[in-house]
Amino acid sequence: MSARTKIWALVLAATPLVAGPSLAADDPAVLKDLTAVIALQGQPCGQVVTAAKQGENDYIASCQDGSRYHVFVNAQGRVVVQKQ
Amino acid sequence: MTIRSAGALSVGLLGVLIQASACAPVKGPSSEAVERRAVEPEPPREETTPRVETPKAPASPAPAEPPRPKTVEPPRPKPEPPRAQESAPPPPTTPARAPVLDLTSLENRLRETSAIGVFTKLSLKNQVDDLLERFRTFHEGRGGTTLAKLREGYDLLVLKVMSLLQDKDPALARDISTSREALWNILADPAKFKNL
Repeated sequence: MSARTKIWALVLAATPLVAGPSLAADDPAVLKDLTAVIALQGQPCGQVVTAAKQGENDYIASCQDGSRYHVFVNAQGRVVVQKQ
Repeated sequence: MTIRSAGALSVGLLGVLIQASACAPVKGPSSEAVERRAVEPEPPREETTPRVETPKAPASPAPAEPPRPKTVEPPRPKPEPPRAQESAPPPPTTPARAPVLDLTSLENRLRETSAIGVFTKLSLKNQVDDLLERFRTFHEGRGGTTLAKLREGYDLLVLKVMSLLQDKDPALARDISTSREALWNILADPAKFKNL
């Protein structure tokens, strides 16, 4: 029991560290923004349903049709949409 | 007796005839004529009064028939010019609500609008920069692009911007739409493009 408790405590303690960089962005404005960007780049998506924030101006967007895109701003200041 | 009776008869007949002649013209035709005249002349008066304009009616009150054609004809052509005048005012209002944007104010308004997200703004800026680069190479005589292709790309970009703005910032979308040709003229003219 004590061993199990220790494991669970470790798992719970480590979860925020792992999940930190990929926080879900449920803000409808962000989802709409990502939808518009993907459409502007001419990529098929429909509508972005979920988005995981990877960093500043860096998202993994999951679309209605099942496709996923890495949307980020590169060093040159350009918005890049990469299919995953 | 016969002479007296004949005289009395003749006098009586004369009196009857005189009374008949005096009464007959007055009673018979006068009442009918008055009724007919009263009925007949009234309609023309009623017809003329509504049609004839107030200044013209007092000028010629006696002749009822001649003014009829004169009064009937003028009012018909008169309403047409006012219609033309009424339809004329709207055109001046349309140019008044068509402010043409210059590139700087357009850029500022696009930057400030909350209708587009940050990513979308950046992406649009990238595409605008790409299009401006294509114009630059075209004006420098480099590259194989044509003005028609540039116009196509320009129209597509404007459509993208307008589709993004039309729901949440319709005023800016409308201003961009009205400034479309003016902006194109700046981009297509080498001299104006250099001054950007």
